[in-house]
Amino acid sequence: MKTDPNRNEPAAEREVVITRVFDAPARLLFDAYRKCEHIRRWFGPRGWPVTLCEIDFRVGGRFRFAMTGPTGEQNTPFGGEYLEIVENRRIVYDNGFELPGAGRMVVTVTFDEAGDQTTLTIHTLFDTIAMRNEHVGMGFMAGVNSGLDQMEELMAELQR
Amino acid sequence: MQAQTQKLDLVFAALADSTRRAILARLAKGEATVNELVEPFHLSQPTISKHLKVLENAGLVSRGREAQYRPVRLEAAPLKKAAQWIGNYERFWNESLDQLEEYVREMKAKESHENRPKQKRTRR
Repeated sequence: MKTDPNRNEPAAEREVVITRVFDAPARLLFDAYRKCEHIRRWFGPRGWPVTLCEIDFRVGGRFRFAMTGPTGEQNTPFGGEYLEIVENRRIVYDNGFELPGAGRMVVTVTFDEAGDQTTLTIHTLFDTIAMRNEHVGMGFMAGVNSGLDQMEELMAELQR
Repeated sequence: MQAQTQKLDLVFAALADSTRRAILARLAKGEATVNELVEPFHLSQPTISKHLKVLENAGLVSRGREAQYRPVRLEAAPLKKAAQWIGNYERFWNESLDQLEEYVREMKAKESHENRPKQKRTRR
């Protein structure tokens, strides 16, 4: 993959934003991010547990994770550096796979507590539009409004 | 990588049409002749053929050699590639956050359990 960071490309086209509202205080969610004992319990898709976890939780410190898939084989580790840490409010880190030429992303996790709820926002800024598209399939999303459901049906059909 | 990206572009462009996705869904059940494909779609044969051409260019279907019928069949490999790729990142996070929801509930329960004796003590 060619990964010349092209920061001249508009940020809006290099980013992905994912949010979720939790019935929990920000400090618990923040804690879930800072310790391996917690990360191992939730990080990653189902069936892909984190089997390598190293965290040096301070600005300038690094983290390194790897997940093991259903085949039992550990996947390529990924990780990066903590760029900013604001207790119970925000974590900014850079991240990427440990592969030659792999692109980088800067992830900003924001914890917004209001009443009994906390909104978690995961903002990811990829190096390039191409990298974003490769991760998210936006080329497809842009052309298809309701294509995903049909796509899923189709895949289910294929796997029969 | 360039060539592969271009190939994926073709796949996604081909999939960006509901008739073509319907054709693929039909072919997922087994190969069919063009005439068999025309029937359920209430479209003209040239229109169906045009869609098939797009699917063929994307490598999503192939045509048999048999001169008379030339049955159309699904080529699953590029589709699987596209599906692996679609929404990977969002799916990654959505599934992680589903698990985080469950885990945070557990953290909360643990915390309130640990706090309970304390509250009793202060009441006494």
